[in-house]
Amino acid sequence: MLARARTFTLEGLNARAVSVEIDIRPGLPAFTIVGLADAAVREARDRVHAALLNSGFQFPARRITANLAPADVPKMGPGFDLALACGILAASGQIPSDLLDTHALFGELSLDGEVRACHGTLAVAEATKKAGLAMLVLGTPRAHEATLVEGLSLGVVECLTSAARILSGGVGDRLPEPSRTQASTLRNGPDLSDVRGQDEAVRTLLVAAAGAHNSLLSGPPGTGKTMLAGRLPSILPPLERSEAIEVMRIHSATGKLTGSELLTERPFRAPHHSITTAGLIGGARRGWVGEVVLAHNGVLFLDELSEFARPTLEALRQPLEDGRVSIVRARHSAVYPARFMLIAATNPCPCGYAGERERCACREVDLARHRRRLSGPLLDRIDLLVRVERTAADHLADEPSLSSARAREQVIEARQRQAKRLRADGVLVNAQMDASMLRRHLKLDRRGEQIMACARERGLLSARGQHRALRVARTLADLDGHERVGAEQISRALALRPEVDLSGRRAA
Amino acid sequence: MNGVCQKCARRDWLLAKLGSRLDREIERHDQSRFWSVLELPDLELIDAISRRRRAELHTAYAEWQPTPSCSGEQPQQALCRHHAAYPRSLREDALSPHSFELRGGVERLRCLLEDKVVAIVGMRRASDYGMQVARELARGLTASGITVVSDFAEGIASAALAGALEADGAPLAVMSAGVERCIPAWHAPLYRRVLQSGCSIAESRASARTRRWWPYANARTLALLAQLVIVVEATEEPWELACANVAFSRARHIAAVPGRVSSPGSRGSNWLLMNGARLVREPQDALDVLYGVGICEAPHQSLTALDLQPRLANVLDLVGSGQDTPAKLAASGTCSDEVLVALTELELCGLLARGDGGRYVPARQF
Repeated sequence: MLARARTFTLEGLNARAVSVEIDIRPGLPAFTIVGLADAAVREARDRVHAALLNSGFQFPARRITANLAPADVPKMGPGFDLALACGILAASGQIPSDLLDTHALFGELSLDGEVRACHGTLAVAEATKKAGLAMLVLGTPRAHEATLVEGLSLGVVECLTSAARILSGGVGDRLPEPSRTQASTLRNGPDLSDVRGQDEAVRTLLVAAAGAHNSLLSGPPGTGKTMLAGRLPSILPPLERSEAIEVMRIHSATGKLTGSELLTERPFRAPHHSITTAGLIGGARRGWVGEVVLAHNGVLFLDELSEFARPTLEALRQPLEDGRVSIVRARHSAVYPARFMLIAATNPCPCGYAGERERCACREVDLARHRRRLSGPLLDRIDLLVRVERTAADHLADEPSLSSARAREQVIEARQRQAKRLRADGVLVNAQMDASMLRRHLKLDRRGEQIMACARERGLLSARGQHRALRVARTLADLDGHERVGAEQISRALALRPEVDLSGRRAA
Repeated sequence: MNGVCQKCARRDWLLAKLGSRLDREIERHDQSRFWSVLELPDLELIDAISRRRRAELHTAYAEWQPTPSCSGEQPQQALCRHHAAYPRSLREDALSPHSFELRGGVERLRCLLEDKVVAIVGMRRASDYGMQVARELARGLTASGITVVSDFAEGIASAALAGALEADGAPLAVMSAGVERCIPAWHAPLYRRVLQSGCSIAESRASARTRRWWPYANARTLALLAQLVIVVEATEEPWELACANVAFSRARHIAAVPGRVSSPGSRGSNWLLMNGARLVREPQDALDVLYGVGICEAPHQSLTALDLQPRLANVLDLVGSGQDTPAKLAASGTCSDEVLVALTELELCGLLARGDGGRYVPARQF
């Protein structure tokens, strides 16, 4: 007898419909799965066998063939277990097969018949709604992810018997209470008021957060670059619903989602400098996403930027420019969203004390080598230079210049102004404005035009650098609450621009 | 074309043979002894510094025959003391190199040395302040018609050559290991620019091995070529003051740029000032030393001519006094936003430049 169940497999961050066809016919007892299944799917035979028996059902002692269609699409992961088990139950006549074609089944089975969560629940839920199916039957642990998709009917099941009950026309189990893990991390995280004597750096960081500008923190060792960067998430605005769903889709597909309610805190990824290109960008194997994708709509913090391998840093150029990363390998290709705010920290020279003539022990050749590691197209995509300087001992006892809560208010206010202005163009922050948006939203006065023209003539700005300075100037105006960008904001933006040549203009 | 006579070629061969002994001389004795040794004629030189190999060297010296490499097959030009085009300032001194290789042409070299020549020297591990001062001095002097000469090394020397080129001048570079080898190699673009308008010379080296006494020999060539030696930044290490020592012994003008007393990189230049060197702050000071006070004026743009607003002049003064970052400037009481605006305006005027670590350095335009 033949039964057909509906489920999904993950392709990148999206789910693709898979039809699980079960054929049971007389013959020597055997259970074969065909259709480009990976090891996890092949191992489903043993899980399904044990789960059926331990749930009080019969496992047909006949020849069972399961076909995962379409046959040319590779299938990964244990999410097919529930569909296979229900297909066998329907094909062997233990449950009716009427609802099998209108209900999507997604979940891993334990040997005792419990339905476990699988990666990519949110993507599967979205695909279920898109496919027009009546219900998604899935395990309880990740069911809250699926509730984010509005208008989708869910059948939450704790075990295989509950799934069988739903397919027989009954009701599923109760949706558990959501776990609360998100809000607490923001409240208990590091606060900007811990930073003392770095008022200028804090102000510049505030500008970076307000416009989501890529920034470079530069300064001697031990001055607090990492400390400042670690406090950036505390001043960033909460995720909007659409942004949160994008982030949750990524984290759900990669199994990194810890809570079950809608995310509010932006992702903050800080990989070690020994990371490989595949680790940063992705593509090590099918379905593997890199740190840039995990940092989507959040912050990617690269500490000790000069220690990263040059090819790894160069690979950041496309995602920084396009806001997405396109991974093409021999057997798979995928496009992932990767619109993140890059925060990098580095010493200005190998010893870290460049410019402090008594302390810097670097020769010109050392500085040139350090410059070569950092300069070029990557630095050209960085909008702001945050100079972090040594703090005099007496300033360490000063009152904090700004608390995270106050800074966050200012950032949110500035972002609201940006969103109001830019929402029609499909972006939310100034850093994402392209040349045409800059032309529309940024009208300079005569003095501003003169300053930009002078900066171009003196070779201080490239064409890309000019756009960068204008975006920062727009953010400064937003923070000041000004509708128009004036000469003052342009001048301040130029002073905050990073020097592509970090160590200044040396001799040759 | 090779303008090296056999006598001078034999001298080069002898110096190569005595290379390790000369290294030992410079390591174990003071510089004055090394200079006196270098002045000795060939046979006396062998007697003075070779010990166990003296007889062997005398025999080899007597039997020396010119090899094809020193008989006219080298690609670059070479001149010796007996060549008509050999610079007069070097010919008159026994300490000068017996021969040197040349790139850029005899005629161009003659033109360069017809003008007043100023050597700008200093430490290799120079600060951004030193680099900036060297650059501006070279730019201003070149614009005043002076030929700037420097050894081709990193630090102050390369900044001086770059400054001279910025003023569309023709600098003269003294190379350490032949005119065909650019050392440091990463300064190759600078070397190409030097050769486009200026010249490079290098003492003929018959040895392929780099010797420790070569930088001293270069310093001596610089001091003998120039009428004025300006030390921008130098420690008290002997090799950094070698050029000034030779200039002092030959009664040439010596000048130094003052530095911070707490900085090791300024101890040498400050020591020179204490011991009679002239103080140089800008190209005009160097011109006053060369021609006399008020005789020749450097074509510079004075700050008063710019008619700076008081707020900009104040920020410029603060940067010059070491408050070279926005944070330090803001700490001195100025509003942070005003500081950023002023810094940009001064940078756009060319009065400030970015230095090491994103700091600001005063940069006057000559």
